[in-house]
Amino acid sequence: MELLNIKYHKYSLPNGLDVILYHDKSLPLVSVNIWYRVGSGNEKEGKTGLAHLFEHMMFQGSENVPKEMHFKFIQEAGGSLNGSTNTDRTNYYEKVPSNYLELALWLESDRMGYFIPALTEEKLNNQIDVVRNERLERYENQPYGLAWETLISNLYPKGHPYSWPTIGFMPDIFYTLDEVRNFFKTFYSPSNASLVVAGDFDSSLTKGLIEKYFGEIKSNVTSSNPVSEKINLEKEIQIERKENVQLERIYFAWHTENSFGKYDSTLEVIADILSGSKNSRLYKNLVFEKEFAQDVTAYQNSGKYGGSFIIVATAKPGIALDKIKDEIFRELKNVEANGMTEIELTRSKNGIKSGFIHSLQSIDSLANQLNYYSFYLDEPNSFNFDLKRYEEIDSFLIKEAVKLYFTKPFVELRIVPESINDK
Amino acid sequence: MINRKTQPLPAGEIEFSLPVINEFQIKNGLKILFVKKDKLPLVQFLLLCNAGCVFDPQDKKGLANLTAMMLDEGAGEYDALQLSDEIDMLGSHLSIRSDEDNIVLSLQTLKENVERSFELLSKIITQPHLNEKDFNREKRKVLTRILQRKDNPDEIADNIFEYNLYGKENPYSNLSLGTEIDVSSVSIDDVMDYYSKFLTAHNSVLIVVGDTSEMQLKNLIEKNLEDWKTTEAVKKNIPEPLRKGSMIIFFHKENALQSEIRIGHLTSKRNEGNYFAKLLLNTILGGQFTSRINLNLRENKGYTYGAFSRFNYYKHQAHFNVSTSVSTENTGNAIREILSELKKIREGVTNDEIDFAKSSLIRKFPSNFETYSQVAGNLTGKVIFSLPDDYFNTYINNVKKVAKEEVNASAADEILSEEVLIAVVGDKNKIIEQFKEFPNSVIVEVNSDGNEIK
Repeated sequence: MELLNIKYHKYSLPNGLDVILYHDKSLPLVSVNIWYRVGSGNEKEGKTGLAHLFEHMMFQGSENVPKEMHFKFIQEAGGSLNGSTNTDRTNYYEKVPSNYLELALWLESDRMGYFIPALTEEKLNNQIDVVRNERLERYENQPYGLAWETLISNLYPKGHPYSWPTIGFMPDIFYTLDEVRNFFKTFYSPSNASLVVAGDFDSSLTKGLIEKYFGEIKSNVTSSNPVSEKINLEKEIQIERKENVQLERIYFAWHTENSFGKYDSTLEVIADILSGSKNSRLYKNLVFEKEFAQDVTAYQNSGKYGGSFIIVATAKPGIALDKIKDEIFRELKNVEANGMTEIELTRSKNGIKSGFIHSLQSIDSLANQLNYYSFYLDEPNSFNFDLKRYEEIDSFLIKEAVKLYFTKPFVELRIVPESINDK
Repeated sequence: MINRKTQPLPAGEIEFSLPVINEFQIKNGLKILFVKKDKLPLVQFLLLCNAGCVFDPQDKKGLANLTAMMLDEGAGEYDALQLSDEIDMLGSHLSIRSDEDNIVLSLQTLKENVERSFELLSKIITQPHLNEKDFNREKRKVLTRILQRKDNPDEIADNIFEYNLYGKENPYSNLSLGTEIDVSSVSIDDVMDYYSKFLTAHNSVLIVVGDTSEMQLKNLIEKNLEDWKTTEAVKKNIPEPLRKGSMIIFFHKENALQSEIRIGHLTSKRNEGNYFAKLLLNTILGGQFTSRINLNLRENKGYTYGAFSRFNYYKHQAHFNVSTSVSTENTGNAIREILSELKKIREGVTNDEIDFAKSSLIRKFPSNFETYSQVAGNLTGKVIFSLPDDYFNTYINNVKKVAKEEVNASAADEILSEEVLIAVVGDKNKIIEQFKEFPNSVIVEVNSDGNEIK
């Protein structure tokens, strides 16, 4: 599809910084998006959460940008900004009116090159408090909020980069200034980063500005990434947790494919046909017809160092989780034997194709997608390649994937309400 | 070495032209707002029906929501599953929701499927099946959802806050999902009545943003919706809520690790008072990351992951509130700091703050028109509050011309620091002592619906 052929210009600075430029002049906006090739997967046990805490520290100012001023400069310019950390990478982005492009480049380059001099104990302690509250607010004080980390810490072997949550375990969320400094020196370097500028800008002026602000930053030797190994669960693991919730919920997790692995897109389509619509297999059976469950969700969650397939269902009051489990496994067996119908596959593929076109609407998500493809595929213009991964799926591939992955041992987690007696 | 000491200045000024809003009506009275946007081959439809939960009958709270949920459970020649399949096969996305003021049907489609997608949307609007079997299932789903509401501290905090702020005589205290007792008593006949009364052409506005033309759109709408029923638009008298003095209400959530806090009060409505002064005021006080409240509670004290304030405008009422979630031991500290920020802003804002807030809002304006949903969202605001046709054209100038004195006057008039409702969801045993710091407030324990536990 020509619409998905995103014409970009990519080059590198002598210090190793990758630069990707993409023009879209439909609005006077420009997006600056940087990916650092470091995520929580690069952390060590006992010091989990440091990559994410570090992301917070990057907003605390740098040598020439006082605390709070990164936010203030961008908001004064009418821009929006944020950052995020996942297992594989950390990103930072600004979207500003196009006449403020230089401001965003100045801010990003200052923290890429001159972060250390502005780091203080006071700022660090403040952000440790903020992140501990973030963990409380988003996970510990939410119903079923700790399910994810329970699943992955059982699914992945001890020490595996995906065996801890990106936010970090609570006892780990204390770090010293030295640890933060070392983290910067180990992972934050132009040679370990990729800069996308997308939107309405002048190419030669912008190349000049990128050279001016980023060219002088010295690269350091960054730590190598974890090695991706094939992991198998030896035997089934069953966990039950009692929590202060109203309804029972059951989770299943299997090891599957890494991002862009052979069956990665097939597993996504399986997830969609199982639970992505009203007439999807599990939703129709469990929620619509039998009313065993209030909700059911399946998804493939893949990264650079591993992948997992998750199915979650919340039981209706009075329904035993075993009944739900039986239905789920009966359906998986059915798919293994009979695959999916042409109609189901077409429906799912049409939704995915439409999603690709919808995803081009905002310049900042497009900029991020260019960095995403560049990171995982070494080719920013991979929209059509990516779409083709879904279009090629047939019932045969579906059966293969189900046989390959869903017949293996899995982690089963049940979260059940505390009874009155337990309190 | 380059000079990094001072921030680079903007390179000239940008040019931005606003999309043109076309407005027309078809014979049965349905009003259409259309913005042509052809960057991508997409069309977005939003149908706003003036039928939100403020219209729920006194003993049938939750009826508007149940009616909304029933609309796509079968329509025309399709049952619920077939209808869902037909929409999915087109790669289109339909969602139906209800809030205080409206039932909103949203449909996103590729341009190549616009005719068929709109035909399906029209069947949902004009020929929903509303049959009993589907109704009973959806009702059980809502009852379970109401049960789950008890698990979510943020949802309980929002609910008990608004319920007590507006008071149960005022329909803005209604929860969209309704209550267990009321929902249990709703029947399919109630849904049919509600549908016939509220889901009518005169009571709705259709917003369209996308790659089509006015001519094509008009033909499409006339072809599919011409026979849609016409009645007079529904009017409702909303009583003015009563102010109640200072009060702390709390919901006991055993072993909660944080306290969810809401602090606020009633204010002037969307079309009353000085809207643009209120907008600037809130940008300074709590609307952004760098606003006073977040910088104090998060970046200075580290009590929370974030703290924000806003003027919350409904069609017929409005309130101001600050919202945050803080570590349990800092519950009292956070309340004290928020109250002190409310008091401080009444003493006035600085020139720098005004300049900053104006710059931020004015320069941000073009990015509010980036995605199809954003444009449709802007038009939604125009419809709900009957904003003038030149609202977006005059927006920047209206922000620019607000004087500091006007912002200060708004702070004095619109922000109450002594007479506020404070709602907290947290562990009673750990927070009750912390409330002693606020001797002027009546302290009341409530259940998850917001009613006092005696």
